[in-house]
Amino acid sequence: MSLSRIGFLGLLALLGGALVMGLTQSASLLGMFTQAVIYAIFALGVGVLLRQNGLVSFGHALFFGAAGYGIGVALTLQWMPAELALLAVLAAIGAGAFLIGLVIVRVPGIAFGMLTLAIGQMAYLLASRARGLTGGADGMGIPWPDTLFGVPQATLLQPATLFMLAWALMVAVTCALLWLLGTRFGAVTEAIRDNEERARFIGIKTTVPRALVYALSAVVTGIAGLLSALNTGFVSPESLHWSASAITLLMVVVGGFKRATGPIVGAIVYFLFKDLLGEWATHSMALFGAALIAVIVFSPDGITGALARLRQRLRHGPLKKGSQP
Amino acid sequence: MLTINLFNGLVYGALLIIMSSGLALIYGLRRVVNFAHGALYMLGAYIGFTVAMHSNFWVALLAAPLAMAMVGVLLDRYGLRLLQDREPLNVMLVTFGLLLILEDLVAFVWGKGNHSLFTPELLNFSVSVFGESLPAYRIGVIVVGAAVALGLTLWLRFSRIGLFVRAASTDPVTTSMQGVNTDTLSAGVVGLGAALAGLAGVVAAPFLSLSPHMSSDVLIDSFVVVVIGGLGSLAGAFVAALLLGMMQAIGAVYLPQVSVLLPFLFMIAVLVWKPSGLAGSRT
Repeated sequence: MSLSRIGFLGLLALLGGALVMGLTQSASLLGMFTQAVIYAIFALGVGVLLRQNGLVSFGHALFFGAAGYGIGVALTLQWMPAELALLAVLAAIGAGAFLIGLVIVRVPGIAFGMLTLAIGQMAYLLASRARGLTGGADGMGIPWPDTLFGVPQATLLQPATLFMLAWALMVAVTCALLWLLGTRFGAVTEAIRDNEERARFIGIKTTVPRALVYALSAVVTGIAGLLSALNTGFVSPESLHWSASAITLLMVVVGGFKRATGPIVGAIVYFLFKDLLGEWATHSMALFGAALIAVIVFSPDGITGALARLRQRLRHGPLKKGSQP
Repeated sequence: MLTINLFNGLVYGALLIIMSSGLALIYGLRRVVNFAHGALYMLGAYIGFTVAMHSNFWVALLAAPLAMAMVGVLLDRYGLRLLQDREPLNVMLVTFGLLLILEDLVAFVWGKGNHSLFTPELLNFSVSVFGESLPAYRIGVIVVGAAVALGLTLWLRFSRIGLFVRAASTDPVTTSMQGVNTDTLSAGVVGLGAALAGLAGVVAAPFLSLSPHMSSDVLIDSFVVVVIGGLGSLAGAFVAALLLGMMQAIGAVYLPQVSVLLPFLFMIAVLVWKPSGLAGSRT
């Protein structure tokens, strides 16, 4: 995709967000949308790792929670201005994930998933047991300053502002990913994903690019973690738990990981579904389980994959037997 | 102090042997990391609990694995078999979906509160070893774990069906070309794996309490065991299960702050050193 096309689609998406914000009257509904958008960014992080490296992470909540704890600790100890702290936390997450990635991306297949699960659970156990600053199992409140980037807190914490901020960041992240993965870096990582040995034969170093993708996906997830910390003003060990990683992976697969927008669709569908359930919400997990199974069985490339096939069929008529879709 | 800790480590190791041998068997035939294994364990414990309330523990010890075996056969016939040509990730997520459904089912049928099962009368006494009094029931758990390990090893090594299972784990296509019905075989093996999960659930019920969240910890520890041992390798899983149990027991005495992290640190060390696990040659 060319840069101008990405920019055009990005602007269109921003307008769409503004429209949603304008049309939504109830603050609680807008709050739910905000949460959906935050998780959409989280899912974008998990999705880029899956799409670009072919690696499944069961521990991405690590970076989601670490962002919250990082900003919480940095603001409590007042190491630096909040604006700088936000960037520092993302840089630290990127650097940390790159180092972890250098070690673990060498491990193939399912064992990689189990390693990420192990690292994530270690962080969860540490956070839920650590006393003092981070508050152990009770979690910690985040002392946001009165103004952030010159915007007073009262304005920033308006549901409409929060939603628009999250939406704009989601669009920006998507555009950045689309651009980055269209460059040589994207092509190299795809080559490594499809056949690591052959990629090595033609002279590509295979560990560093994959570790970079891992770091990239961690930073994207970290952005979602920071937004969540701003949205709730609070971070707890639950945000590090493996079930958060697994639910996000579920969103990615339901949305369809082969397309850039799949994780976003998955996250929004997840939250809409949860909201629509209403009084059935106590059984939401069972219904999600059933929906997950149904999507995987009937449309392995998720909702976006099914939509793409539908569009193709509408445009070109039903597929002939034996022809490749 | 150390004796009792080592003993408890052995008990937990035995429980992990029962759990992870089922996981390893299923992985061997179907190449699926079965997330639903935790749910089968939990369901086994709850069914065992209900049966034990109405009759006694020994009936439960038989009924729960049998019920889980049936669930396992159905899971293979109407799940894994139909999905065998799909991406392993997708099948793994299907089992995760199943875990969510079964956890909810358990919370719905038995409620969200904790239950506990009484130790059976017959084993409700203590044995004194090295000046420590050890509960007989826990010794029984070790015996069951050892029996499972020994039984599975002998069965796989010396029986005709065991030979088929080993062959199909190595190369299912060639095995079926030699005239072995690998679909029936898989149904049987997944049934056996599920029965072992049910057995682990009943056996654990009197000393770990029952709740709809009980599957998570044991499931993750079993994953760690299976991955450390080498996916699909039973011998590797036995060794890793005992190592893990011991490590937690000794860690609890000497490194209480980090003892819960030890299994994960050990797994990371093993996988970085040998990505296919202790006994794994396949990836």
